[in-house]
Amino acid sequence: MMASVVANGNRDGQALVLKGVDPETCLIVFKNHWAQVVKILEKHDPLRSSSTLPSLGVLSISSGSSGGSRFGPIPGDEASAVQNYVEHMLFLLMEEESGQAGAMGPILEFVVMENVMERLFVWSLRREFTDDMKLEQLKMYEMLVGQSRQPLLHHKPILRPLMMLLSSCSGTAAPAVEAELVLLLHQLCCVLAKDPSILELFFHTSEDQGAANFLIFSLLIPFIHREGTVGQQARDALLLIMSLSAENERVALHVAENTYFCPVLATGLSGLYSSLPTKLEVPSEEWHCLHKEEWLRLPSLVQFLNSLEFCNAVIQVAHHTIRDQLVAYIYNGFLLPVLAPALHKLTLEEVMTTTAYLDLFLRSVTEPALLQTFLSFILLHQHEGVYILDTLVSRINTPFQLGTVSLSLFRTLIGFYCEDVMLQLVLKYLIPCNHMMLSQRRVVKERDFYSASAAKILALTPSCCSPDRSPPPLRQLDSILFSKRGETPNNSSNTDQQSSFSEEDDGSGNSCTIGSEIYLDVSYLHYLYDARLSISSCIQACQVWSAPYDGENPPPEKYQPGVLEEPMPDSRQTQAALKRVAQLLVPHRRPSLPPSKEPPSITQLELEWDDSFDACPVQADEAPVDPKPPQPPSSGPPKHIQEMRRSAIMLVKGSYIEENDFQDDVLVYDLIAKKDASEMEQTSDEPSGSSSDEAQPGLAEVSVKNGLSLTLPTTVMADNAKTSLKSKVNGQTHCNGNLQNATNTSDDLLAQYEELIHSLVSETGGKQVIADEEVRKPVTVAEEEEKEEEEEKMDFTPFTAETPEPEKLQSPFGSIQRFRSGSSKGSYALPFTGPFISVLLSRLENMLSNTLHVNLLLTGILAQLAAYPQPLLRSFLLNTNLVFQPTVRSLYQVLATVKNQIEELAACRKDFSELITVAQHWLLARETLFITADKTSSSGSNKHEGGKILKNSLPPKPKAISLDQTEVFATVLFSEFLKELAAIAQEHSILSYIPMEE
Amino acid sequence: MSANTSRKRTDEEQSGHVDQRASPVRTHFGKKVLPPIPKNATPITKPASMGSAAHSANGTHASYGPFYLEYALLAEFTLVIKQKLPGIYVQPSYKSALMWFGVIFIRHGLYQDGVFKFTVYIPDNYPDGESPKLVFDIPVFHPLVDPVSGELDVRRAFTKWRRNHNHIWQVLMYARTVFYKINTTEPLNPEAAVLYEKDVQLFKSKVVESVKLCNSHLFDQPKIDDPYAISFSPWNPAVHEEAKERMFTFKRRPEEHHKGTQVSGLSWVKPGSTQPFSKEDSPPQS
Repeated sequence: MMASVVANGNRDGQALVLKGVDPETCLIVFKNHWAQVVKILEKHDPLRSSSTLPSLGVLSISSGSSGGSRFGPIPGDEASAVQNYVEHMLFLLMEEESGQAGAMGPILEFVVMENVMERLFVWSLRREFTDDMKLEQLKMYEMLVGQSRQPLLHHKPILRPLMMLLSSCSGTAAPAVEAELVLLLHQLCCVLAKDPSILELFFHTSEDQGAANFLIFSLLIPFIHREGTVGQQARDALLLIMSLSAENERVALHVAENTYFCPVLATGLSGLYSSLPTKLEVPSEEWHCLHKEEWLRLPSLVQFLNSLEFCNAVIQVAHHTIRDQLVAYIYNGFLLPVLAPALHKLTLEEVMTTTAYLDLFLRSVTEPALLQTFLSFILLHQHEGVYILDTLVSRINTPFQLGTVSLSLFRTLIGFYCEDVMLQLVLKYLIPCNHMMLSQRRVVKERDFYSASAAKILALTPSCCSPDRSPPPLRQLDSILFSKRGETPNNSSNTDQQSSFSEEDDGSGNSCTIGSEIYLDVSYLHYLYDARLSISSCIQACQVWSAPYDGENPPPEKYQPGVLEEPMPDSRQTQAALKRVAQLLVPHRRPSLPPSKEPPSITQLELEWDDSFDACPVQADEAPVDPKPPQPPSSGPPKHIQEMRRSAIMLVKGSYIEENDFQDDVLVYDLIAKKDASEMEQTSDEPSGSSSDEAQPGLAEVSVKNGLSLTLPTTVMADNAKTSLKSKVNGQTHCNGNLQNATNTSDDLLAQYEELIHSLVSETGGKQVIADEEVRKPVTVAEEEEKEEEEEKMDFTPFTAETPEPEKLQSPFGSIQRFRSGSSKGSYALPFTGPFISVLLSRLENMLSNTLHVNLLLTGILAQLAAYPQPLLRSFLLNTNLVFQPTVRSLYQVLATVKNQIEELAACRKDFSELITVAQHWLLARETLFITADKTSSSGSNKHEGGKILKNSLPPKPKAISLDQTEVFATVLFSEFLKELAAIAQEHSILSYIPMEE
Repeated sequence: MSANTSRKRTDEEQSGHVDQRASPVRTHFGKKVLPPIPKNATPITKPASMGSAAHSANGTHASYGPFYLEYALLAEFTLVIKQKLPGIYVQPSYKSALMWFGVIFIRHGLYQDGVFKFTVYIPDNYPDGESPKLVFDIPVFHPLVDPVSGELDVRRAFTKWRRNHNHIWQVLMYARTVFYKINTTEPLNPEAAVLYEKDVQLFKSKVVESVKLCNSHLFDQPKIDDPYAISFSPWNPAVHEEAKERMFTFKRRPEEHHKGTQVSGLSWVKPGSTQPFSKEDSPPQS
């Protein structure tokens, strides 16, 4: 009450009143007031000792309050009288200037001498120490600390009662008191931050208390995770102390060693995380990440992010001991015990939600040390023996929202320009340079002087999308491109629209002779400009990297496969990771998926595959959705043989489905050819998985192994899958193998398997052999396209005709296979560019059936990867002249495949080019909307909230075309993607070679 | 020397910074698709089929051809910069990337103190055509320089222009060498050749005369009217002092600049290792 009056009083007015008054008078007034107060105080003092006040150190709070009750209530008029006096006294104290050379002013001196504050505090204790009383006292100090003109806290007679007050407030729950307490604490921290010399006093004072050492700090900790302004204020106050700790080791050590600050922070994250929704409502199929306006609507998420942001800030400003401790607690107290299991929950929605959260967290964290913690969790932590990264990568391939959200997560990861991330995702697979022919290594660093790669990429543009075909404004084919601004009015209107671009363009020494007679694709200029921006920022960011990754440093010889691989059963992990994905899929068959045409609905297949994965013919309990009735027992060959047959059929059908899948086909053909060969030679060599211990398996053997692993993913995951074999096979009753026999069993299986393959081969005749030979010819870039066409022409009908199992066995499990055979790469010497690239390329290959937004994400990620300046990565993605090993799929190959798909489609659909035009118009409208929305919404900031546009301001659906016609949109995107890639390739040829000192 | 040295590239680099982390969605989502419609775009009236005639056999669209040429020339120019050829300065013209202005300073030898302006003409079918031409603004008295046109005999050094092997900086380098090592075989200026062989003293005096002539025309307006043409003017502190200042302080600028607008990457990889988080300040492990 008193304090509120004081606080509300017009300070300036008071100052004015006091200004002319000389300090002497003030002191006299103050003393008079005090004398009146003392009178009342002493009247109620149990000890009635006027001059010698007992030391407060002896007086405990409880005795004080009990004393109050003993002597009965204090009359209200006396209480308010004291208030009135104190109010005036405080004004006088506050307004007093400090004396000469920083000496105390006379009033302050009097206050200190007379121990005014302590006695006032005791007085409030004497009365009932209610919340109101606390509030009053807190406000009083808050005002004094905040507004006093001279430093007060240096003086123990002021500081000590303050500390007593604070400690008496430590347990209170009344919100009003809490708010005031935090406010005062915040104020104290501000004073501390300005004048660290007081710090010592705070420590000393609290030592007197014998309790917590640094009371201000300890009192703030419970508010760390609080919502609203109280929490915010507490966090701000703590941050002030944290930045203090950076220079003051004592504070740092105290916080780290004597307080629960870090554990509270980290476990608080866990607590807050647990209150987040486990399943997010997905607004639309396009949704792929949490945008600000979305998480702002989720209070629990806001609260979590506040705390995470606070951790981030603490790590930024605090002393390194605190930083290290906090980071460790976050790792061991939040990431490992909470986030890791959350990423492996049982349903797709839950996992998808966690993935979206993780993505959001990564985007919210800015401090390298904290980012490092999150990233090392993703890259190095193994959950149940599987790297988080492997799990995340494998999920890209899921056909549901999870796949899309995972793509988005990787987009974030790649955007960090983090060497460690890129190393684990891509570069470590490229360092050995095994993916290219030995003679090609020198090409890695070669410069594409004449845009040869760009030309080759652009040459893939489907004829239906040729820039010469589409009418304006879809294509701006123009000859004004290289002429100067001002010369053509048309160009200046262009300038208005794309001011940023044209300004850059203006003043460049372009030619009016170049291309003056040819129509140019103006949109390509935008791509060039974008490419320039993204490459140059990437180059700049990568300057902190440890190596150039140019095929020489790190030296490829030093990092052959196996050296780079962590010493662990890789394939097993991957299997487990995949299994998890498969499990996720089990309860989530979505009928809404398009009816299975060429690449059929993956759900069933995943199910099938999951079954076979466990090498258990029918898991009736786990696969309730399986429409197939349980197989009658003992009707045919033993179950595991049936199983193998089924797998074999799947292999064949799978390869049929993935007819464009170059790599897999090669493997299959290799396998078949191998069988043929061994039949001729009466099989002297045993191409069995048990040869894993042999030092260097020959190439043929390797491919056989891979082929087998393709077919029987689980059981005969040759080579280093032994561990998994053991565990898997061991569990199966029908295999009755023990640990020791496990490999033998697999040998056995292999042998039987070969038989099966033989029969298949003999049935289909020589046709395959011819095809096989063709395929095995060394792949040269020039031949690629023809060859792909040939592959497509191959007739697979004999196989399909044979197939006893109907539709449901169709499997694009090539896509998963590819990943799988990929990640067990370390053991095979087979060239492999890593699961991440594999998964991306296989999704890209299915571009025509991907939805628009998946393709946008996918091409976005690839473009971002292509912008990296490291010659290894650049050459792998963009150099179309590089000759790769036959088993390595390049981006160019996949693009060529897609192009062929498009051409076929265009050839057999009359209305295709019209649909393309409609789609182009729609995308153009969408684009224009995006740009205008972008201009209006974020005029100042350069933050692009692209998702906003995606979600809110979609133009009306195209009339003549449904968005479900993914192939049409994919075709448009495809040709735009080619331009984007070509532009990146062209800019690389300039930017990557500009001397750095320029 | 007050050559117009403002280069577009450097400006772009300095402003070329995008906050890429802002959103996981493509920063330039839009650019992915199609360019916006210009406000007052006048529809192109010429038949679009014109372009299809230029459809080359391998499917490359002619619409992109100029881009390839442009970038090939840009690449050549960055190579020139990289070579740091002593005493040679070049600058592509404003109007055409196929025309480069240059100047060469001869610092010793017979042609000492010569300052020769020249123009390089690059064929528009570069790099598949002939070698570029190099023409001196004023025909220098030299056996290999045409006394009328001022053209240097480049062809003798680059009989056939080979893509990937021959680069424009080599032509510039050759132009420099010519003044230090006199070659008289099959001369474009027989008089100079003969004099050099028979009467070096006379040759020398002719060269000195020629150098004087060239230098006396140094402050002339550039032969070709182009904003990026190299022009000289007498030292004028009001104009040149500041530029000189900037040139000398330029070296410090990039670092300062980097601090400001850094798009910083991350790395915890110990140099020489290919293990993630191998640096000392590695993250906590369980």
